[in-house]
Order: sequence, then C-alpha cells, then structure tokens
Amino acid sequence: MLAIDVKDLRKQFNVQKNREGLSGALKDLFKREYNEVTAVKDISFQIPEGEICGYIGENGAGKSTTIKMLTGILVPTSGHIKVNGFIPYKDREKFVGGIGVVFGQRSQLWWDIGVIESFQLLRKVYRVSEQDFRKRLNELVERLQLGDLLNRPVRKLSLGQRMRCELVASLLHNPSILFLDEPTIGLDIVVKTEIRDFLMQMNKEQGTTILLTTHDLQDIEALCSRVIMLDDGRIIYDGGLDELKNRWSKGREIQFQFARHTPIEKLKQLTESLDVTWTPENDVTAKMWLPHAVNVSDALARVVGGVEIRDIKIFETNTDDIVRGIYQSGSAAVSKETSQS
Amino acid sequence: MMRYASLFWEYIKNYAKTRLTYRADFWIEVLSDLLFQGMNLIFILIVFQHTPSLGGWSEAEVVFVYGFFMVPFGVFSTFFSIWNFSERYIVKGEMDRVLTRPAHSLYQVLLENVDPPSLIGSFVGAIIMALCWTQLDLPFHLLDVLMLIVLVLGAVLIYAGLYTALSAISFYSDAPTGIVPLMYNIQNYGRYPVNIYNKMIRFVLTWLLPFAFVGVIPASYFLEKKADDLSRMAMMTPVMGIIVFSLGLALWNHGVKKYRGAGS
Repeated sequence: MLAIDVKDLRKQFNVQKNREGLSGALKDLFKREYNEVTAVKDISFQIPEGEICGYIGENGAGKSTTIKMLTGILVPTSGHIKVNGFIPYKDREKFVGGIGVVFGQRSQLWWDIGVIESFQLLRKVYRVSEQDFRKRLNELVERLQLGDLLNRPVRKLSLGQRMRCELVASLLHNPSILFLDEPTIGLDIVVKTEIRDFLMQMNKEQGTTILLTTHDLQDIEALCSRVIMLDDGRIIYDGGLDELKNRWSKGREIQFQFARHTPIEKLKQLTESLDVTWTPENDVTAKMWLPHAVNVSDALARVVGGVEIRDIKIFETNTDDIVRGIYQSGSAAVSKETSQS
Repeated sequence: MMRYASLFWEYIKNYAKTRLTYRADFWIEVLSDLLFQGMNLIFILIVFQHTPSLGGWSEAEVVFVYGFFMVPFGVFSTFFSIWNFSERYIVKGEMDRVLTRPAHSLYQVLLENVDPPSLIGSFVGAIIMALCWTQLDLPFHLLDVLMLIVLVLGAVLIYAGLYTALSAISFYSDAPTGIVPLMYNIQNYGRYPVNIYNKMIRFVLTWLLPFAFVGVIPASYFLEKKADDLSRMAMMTPVMGIIVFSLGLALWNHGVKKYRGAGS
C-alpha cells in the first residue's frame, strides 16, 4: 500500500511586492501589487509503506512547503495528495492522529513544564491509553536514554536532549508515518548518529514510513534507500542514492606523490592520448582528474611507467560534491529532465 | 465533548504548574486587572457627581450594568486571551504545531492561552451587582439566577465570536492589524446605557458590533423598565451570542485554510 501518494501537487503564494523607499511604501498603502510565487510546481511521487525517503534541495526549493502540505498544515493550490489514506487538509483532525511530525526548528514541547508533563498532555491530545502510553514511553526512553531528563523543564535542556525529546513526543501515539523536517540541524555528531540509529531501528522493527528533509547528506547516506531532490519547486531526481552518485558524479581524482620534482608538462606528455587534466599541487605532488570514460588502470599505467612514485591516493567524488554540483547547475538539470520526459 | 473537557482540565493543570510557581506575577496580574476595572468604575462615580441621572439611568443602575459587564468579561478574558494571536501563531508560525495535532485548532490556541486570574474580575463584578441589587431594592427570584447564567453565557459568546473573527483576520492579512485596540475601545461603549448615544452609534453597538448585548441590554433585564425598554431585547442575548459566535467560528475555519505558514 502507498503511504504517500502525490499527484501534480502545486502551491502558489501571493507575495506582496514592496516598492522601494518611502514613496513606494505610501503607494503600497493604497494599491498593493502581488507577485505570484509558485513554491511547488506540479510534483508527483509515491512512497510505499515502510520506506525511508530523503527529501533534499537547496533552501527555498519547496521542501518545507511540500512537507506542510503533506501534514495538512497548508492547503494545496491544486493537485491531489493522499497520505495514509486521507486527504490531509480535509480530514485534518482524524488524519494527524496517524502521523508524527518533527520540525527541527520548532519545538512541540511546552517550554516551562517538565518533559514528562508535555508527554502527558500529548497523551491526552492524541487519546493514547495510559497503558499504551507507559509501554511506549518506557521503550522510547530506554532507547534514546532520556531517563534522567524527564523531569526537567524543556528550557533547561540542551539542543541534543531537546531533539531526542521531540522525537519521543512525535512518536507517543505510534504513528505509521513520520515526517522530519531537518531533524539533525545543529546537533553534534554523537547525537546525530544516535538519532539515525534510532530511526533506522524503528523503521526496521515497526515498518514506520519516514520522510525527512535535511541538508546533511550523511543523514541521507545513513538512512535513505531513496532520495527525492527538489530544485525550484520541481523534482529533479527521484531514485536510489547510488544511482544518484553514478549518474551525477563525473569522474574521480588521483593524487600522486613523486620521488622528485616532476614538471607538469612531463606528466601531461605521458597521458597525452587520455582525456585527463592535471593540476600541480607543489613540487612533488600533482592531481590527475579523470572522467568515468577513462579507465583508472590505463591512466595509472602510463604515469607509473614514466615517473617514480612514492604514494597514490584515489578520491571518489563524495555526495556533498555531487549534490553541490547539481544545485549549482540546477537549471540545466531541469531542462534536461523536462526534455527527457 | 468529554475529551475536550478532559483536555481543558489538563491544560489548566499545566497552567497552574507553570504560573503558580511565579506567585508574585500571579498577584500582580490580579491586582492590575482590578485596578483597571476600578478606574472605570471611578469614572462612572465622577460622572454622577455632576448629574443625578444619565439618560434616565441612576448611578446605582449604571454601576449595576458595569458589574454585570465584568462577569462575562472576566470569563471571556480567561478563555479568550488571544491578544497576541497574530504575532505568536501567524508571524512566528506556531500555528504549524497546532495544526499537526488532532483537536480543533481554535480550541488548542485558546487552551494554550488560558488566563484564570481574569476570573477574579467576574467575582468582583458579581459582588458589585449584589450590592447594587440591594441598594436598588430589586425583588429577587430564583429564576433571576438562571437568567443571569443564560445572559452571561450569551454575552461571553458574543465577545468570543467577535474576537475569534478578529483573530481570524490575521489568516487573511499579512501584517498584524491594529484593529484589536480599536475594538477594545469600542467595546467599552457597551457598558453604558446605549440610549445616551446617537442613533448611528446605537445601531452599530446593537447590531454590527453588538457590544450592547454584553453590558447594558442583558443587565436591563434585572432593572426597572425604562422608557425605551431595552429589557425586551435582553432575551435576544443568547440568540445573538450563538449567531455571532457561529459567524466568528466560520470565519476562523475558513481562515485556517488560508494559513500560509512562516518561513523555513
């Protein structure tokens, strides 16, 4: 069954145009002009139950807007959404009982009262029975090691502690779909890892569907079997992370350390027939960049045959670089994508 | 319904936990509320030092009306202290959180902002009414108590509806509107006998922004009949309350669909 089914989803905002200067402000007072901004442009995707899907894109690409439509906060301008069998904005009150939401930038908990009191309140809001609540809470508290935090007021928690509490808060009613909007923002590596492990485990054991947006691609690498990439309100990639790497990484880099000073011209000469580029780093080291078309062993053989080498390092382009590349060439990718479809 | 009642109790308990720890704050709020009401009362007393009656209303009667007004106003302030709704929920985007929870959005917002100290104003109002009641030598029936409850509820609904509608405006308009202080001023007119105003203002206070139904109209039910008998309209109070509140709620429900969220 599909957990999330989105078809031709679109969201437009009317953004007020502010004219410049005092006279502009005065004009605005009487006659406002609006710009229509389309934050999400007719996107379609489907997420089956039990999948962890990463939703990535630059700031302002429309990630949060999509999440807010999926969770029933915003009403779409057009298109169809079905989440968990509901149309989110229509049966909002019934629908949200089956989902969990964590906004990394915003707290769900009450600032002044103890964490456990917030949980108790949420128990009432979500109509969880005392018995289920206890069982669930004990599980979560044990797994996220919250034991001694429960009686502290939220404002006295560190960000990492608060984030773990937020996760618990969103899971008390045992939702089948969990939406996470930048859940690891601002957290240290230990807490990040802990949260990732926890999400992974929960997905395995209970089959919770997870949709998360993030800027930290390590989140994606650790968790997601699938990535949806958004640029300027359109989906520019939807598929596995490995495919993404294969499709977008253009080559790799090999760093050589030579025994003695080797002029760059000589290296270029050695690899003349191959489509590689050299960049000198200092007297005895240089980097060779070779596209996927060029065989690594071919290139190595030529260099090794010509000069004496102390050390070799091969750099695979990492996901950050790939994604940065895609973001930067975002518009090009879109035109390519649309011409294909 | 039961669930909403139990939710209400939970929120009140949490309120108590957070607020009662700051005892000084609590009493200062009570005191400042009472001082504010006291100032208005003193104003009425000063006016009556210059004239024995105001549009046919005696001093005790006007004070009685004021006492009546304080009762629904206290109840309203307790449950509808959403003065900062626009800023907190729309501009800062806290509405996001509210909308991801399975309870009516208005109800959640109200519960998050309950302000029980305002209820003390209602008690003071009731005492003022009782004092005037004896001073005016009004007859007392058990039915009056029942009527009082019905009229107070109607008046609270009118207030609630108007301020719900006002808050809902923030869903449509980008910038927080300065309309709330304006309303706050207009509502004060409803505490005095409406027949001292000109026709236009009377009309507005009775039918458009029916603040007259919060003070003078229902209060006149208990008082001696006047020339232009306002007390005949007193029974309209609950009806008016239901109409106004329904309209306010409808505007809210429609507005929530227009909610645009805040950045990020």
